[in-house]
Amino acid sequence: MSRISTSCQAAAIALSFSSLPLSSALAHCFVGARFLPATLATDDPCVADEMSLPTVSWSRTGDVPPAKELDISGEISKRITEDFGISIGNGWTQIRQPGSPTIAGFGNLETAFQYQLLKEPTHEIAILLGLVVEWGGTGAIHSGIATPYSTLTPTFYFGKGFGDLPEDAGWLRAFAVTGQVGYQIPTQSFDLVQGTFNPQVLSWSGSMQYSMPYLKSEIQDLQLPDFINHLIPIVEFQMSTPVANNFGNSFLTIGTINPGVIWVGSYFQVGLEAQLPVNGASGHGVGVLGQLHLYLDDIFPTTIGQPLLGGTSTAPRQLTF
Amino acid sequence: MRILIVTVSLFPLSIGASVARAHAFLDHASPPVGSTVGAAPHEVSLTFTQNLEGAFSTIQVTGPNGARVDQSKPQISGNTMRVGIRAAGAGTYHVQWRALSVDTHATQGSFAFHVGAQ
Repeated sequence: MSRISTSCQAAAIALSFSSLPLSSALAHCFVGARFLPATLATDDPCVADEMSLPTVSWSRTGDVPPAKELDISGEISKRITEDFGISIGNGWTQIRQPGSPTIAGFGNLETAFQYQLLKEPTHEIAILLGLVVEWGGTGAIHSGIATPYSTLTPTFYFGKGFGDLPEDAGWLRAFAVTGQVGYQIPTQSFDLVQGTFNPQVLSWSGSMQYSMPYLKSEIQDLQLPDFINHLIPIVEFQMSTPVANNFGNSFLTIGTINPGVIWVGSYFQVGLEAQLPVNGASGHGVGVLGQLHLYLDDIFPTTIGQPLLGGTSTAPRQLTF
Repeated sequence: MRILIVTVSLFPLSIGASVARAHAFLDHASPPVGSTVGAAPHEVSLTFTQNLEGAFSTIQVTGPNGARVDQSKPQISGNTMRVGIRAAGAGTYHVQWRALSVDTHATQGSFAFHVGAQ
């Protein structure tokens, strides 16, 4: 009887694996032994089933006198196939400027179409290509929060963990870097309302992160408290530089440097960063950026955590060394 | 806005209450990751954050001379995977593992431990 029962269990497991793709199992950003968390200011270099809700930031703008800006946004990312995904996001902004009426409203709807070009586990390298589209006229144009024109941004994303350093490198192997470079192209070169050119802008951002989970599981278990072992201290930067169609305006780079930390759990992560403007045009004082990020592939592993296409067709394969 | 904040705040709690599956992270190992032990252990044991599928989870241990020292197939029970090893003297041992959690999320990793004077 027990033998029959065992056989039935084995058959059930085999059947369940025949309907679940092993390749889908690396949904959020694992590259070999490295887990690259969803970073707050820089998109991580993987397609995934995930949701950032909410991302909240507060800062003082570079205006004189500075205005107080509050942004609340959300984004959901969904794999269409194993290597191709789409993200949809939107944000609400409120700007309070001394002596002026408060303005608020939704920004334009943003979508990103992303293709996973490479995941190289041995050297912990991930490369992603994307096209980010901000759809003009879908937000609060009249309040000045959104633009009537669209913006196309071809973007290159990368991530690299340093776990492939020699063992002598010790704790340094827990470091990783990620980054993205995009070229923003407005669909209108001139803003008739404001009477200004719409510049083409190079947006570049990145992160340097130190993974305590990686340190514990790959390098040395220091028997630290569990909470510490879930932390990823991080420094991000987020910059934009006008490079073309910017007649009569400054070509000054603006941006922020964001030191912070991400706590990584099994189903969600929480991140908190300070925002330090790199110059006066980028803002005044220290801002704050926080995010709750949900791993949909872990929360709903058999439904929306699967790619829409090809999610149940890949035959299972035995893991072997 | 208040409804949104409350909903978002409660969502992680509801996840934890209703689902108990995700990627299997290595929680701890015996011998511990990166540790130095006085004598070669008889087995290597890995404990993960999720239960494992035995048929698709593997472990390999190599001794100081690079030769495999793991014996037979790993034994998997719940969230623990263990394999017997034969002693191969003092030096650095390397452990490579791949784990498949019960909802088919795969993870992998490797680490070293050292046998010799502490």
